[in-house]
Amino acid sequence: MVMENAISDASDFAHTPIPKLTQLDALLRCHICKDFLKVPVLTPCGHTFCSLCIREYINVQGKCPLCLSELRDSMLRSDFLVSEIVDSYKAVRDDLVRVLVETKKEDEDEDADQSVIELGSDVEEPALSQSSDDVQIVGTNERGTLKRAATDLLGGSSRSKFFKSGNVAKRSSTTSRIESMFHKSEEMAACPICERFFPVKELERTHLDECLTLQSLGKSPNPAQRKPKLREKPVLPRSTRIKSTSEAPKVSHVDKYIHSSAENGHQRLPKLDLSSMPVTQVKQKLAQLGLPTLGSKQDMVARYNHYEMLWNSNFCDSLDPVDESELKRQLTSWEASRKSNSTKSTSNSISNMMVSRASKSNSQEEYRKLLANFRNDKFSRKAWSKLFNKQFKRLVRDAKKRVVKSEASTKEATSQHESDDKEDVEDPLSDPDLSADLLNAIDAKASKPSP
Amino acid sequence: MSSKRISKELRDIERDPPTSCSAGPVGDDLYHWQASIMGPPDSPYAGGVFFLTIHFPTDYPFKPPKIAFTTKIYHPNINANGNICLDILKDQWSPALTLSKVLLSICSLLTDANPDDPLVPEIANIYKTDRPKYEATAREWTKKYAV
Repeated sequence: MVMENAISDASDFAHTPIPKLTQLDALLRCHICKDFLKVPVLTPCGHTFCSLCIREYINVQGKCPLCLSELRDSMLRSDFLVSEIVDSYKAVRDDLVRVLVETKKEDEDEDADQSVIELGSDVEEPALSQSSDDVQIVGTNERGTLKRAATDLLGGSSRSKFFKSGNVAKRSSTTSRIESMFHKSEEMAACPICERFFPVKELERTHLDECLTLQSLGKSPNPAQRKPKLREKPVLPRSTRIKSTSEAPKVSHVDKYIHSSAENGHQRLPKLDLSSMPVTQVKQKLAQLGLPTLGSKQDMVARYNHYEMLWNSNFCDSLDPVDESELKRQLTSWEASRKSNSTKSTSNSISNMMVSRASKSNSQEEYRKLLANFRNDKFSRKAWSKLFNKQFKRLVRDAKKRVVKSEASTKEATSQHESDDKEDVEDPLSDPDLSADLLNAIDAKASKPSP
Repeated sequence: MSSKRISKELRDIERDPPTSCSAGPVGDDLYHWQASIMGPPDSPYAGGVFFLTIHFPTDYPFKPPKIAFTTKIYHPNINANGNICLDILKDQWSPALTLSKVLLSICSLLTDANPDDPLVPEIANIYKTDRPKYEATAREWTKKYAV
């Protein structure tokens, strides 16, 4: 169950075999946006927030949101380690949730038992010392126990008893189950030459050839060398490679830091009291930064303030700063979203349509976000249809009603169509792509009425 | 940002609802919610169910949500319009707070009123000088409007 547009939440782990992950997940989230920390910064009072979140809040109120102690943006310090922890956690999170959820399902399947036996036979292979020490302990010494433990889990009633029976057993059971799942889903097999485990397909297609070539070159690793190498590459991470997210890290982290210490040539932008400056000076300041000088003074002040926030967050806090053009793009998209909230006249018909809807319902922020993305390729059709799900459903309902009515009385129905159609114009359904499915549905249900 | 954060709170409240409170959006408007609070059992509001309307500002969570009672209630910190005098809804607001924490604070305000910072001085006065009378009136109002 990999979530795409859905909101991830710490409670995703609550019903998995490792509910304690909930806490870990929650700790890596910003207290302001409740999402994973993005460019985390540390306050003098020891609290961590996303750089942009806390900077935006400091513009509203100069206090730490958690302990309410005084806070200015010059006090913020970037927290690279947390940043990397979050990134690496995010990289594995989907897989983790998926594996744990599937492991849980596996519990309810009868073949969980089966796969444990499979695992048991694997354990006999000395080469599988790679998988995990725990498995080996349980697997070789008390393989029977492991198997029984798993069947106990199926029963559910004796679950707590089993979990109490010691940390080692508990951990090993989880590990082995996860592992056995991979064995099952991927059909791993040992290479007869190097004795390492590979998915059958990979083994047949590429690995055997490689291994044979290596051997003929006399490069075959002797067993003494092989063992430590295997330890480095446990089965689990290698299997999850399907997702390609867990490939071996390319950059050594230390390198990153060494580069980051070098001046990136970008000075902190000062906070300016532009509102008390004459317009010409404000324009001058914006021009110096290469920002547009359009709009009212108020617009320009807001533009500078937002750009200052983006700039300082990017160049002072981020470990991987983007370049100025990207910041300007972000600024433009922020301004577009800001305008679409208040503006009444937009030339674009799509924007017009959306604005008219936005004034009706108040999920403007979502509109603005979607609208902002309309100009690039990130526009999320899914989110859009989700947002208007209710309207869509209502339309389907109306359509069904129409069918009934048109059957009952053609005259009445005609007048009904007119009023319904008026509503339709306001709905975002005029976009053919978005509503294709829906229109199909309506067509199917209400092919008769046409005014 | 606000809509994402509000969606998260909605999901949070659905998955792990605070005891004796419930909340959710009105219709399809994510920024306009309603909530219900059960009168705490150790208070004169016991047995009543109180409804509230909630408005999230577009710059939520940088600004606090606007919350008001729609059910009439006799309380020193809640006036006839349902406005609530609660510090975390005003100057003590923090973006780290969530709606469910605010609702819990409102619950505890029902149990322990704050007569030193009243919104309705008359009720506060009675609360301080004649507690049984205050409790009787509060119970009466609860029976009349909230049951």
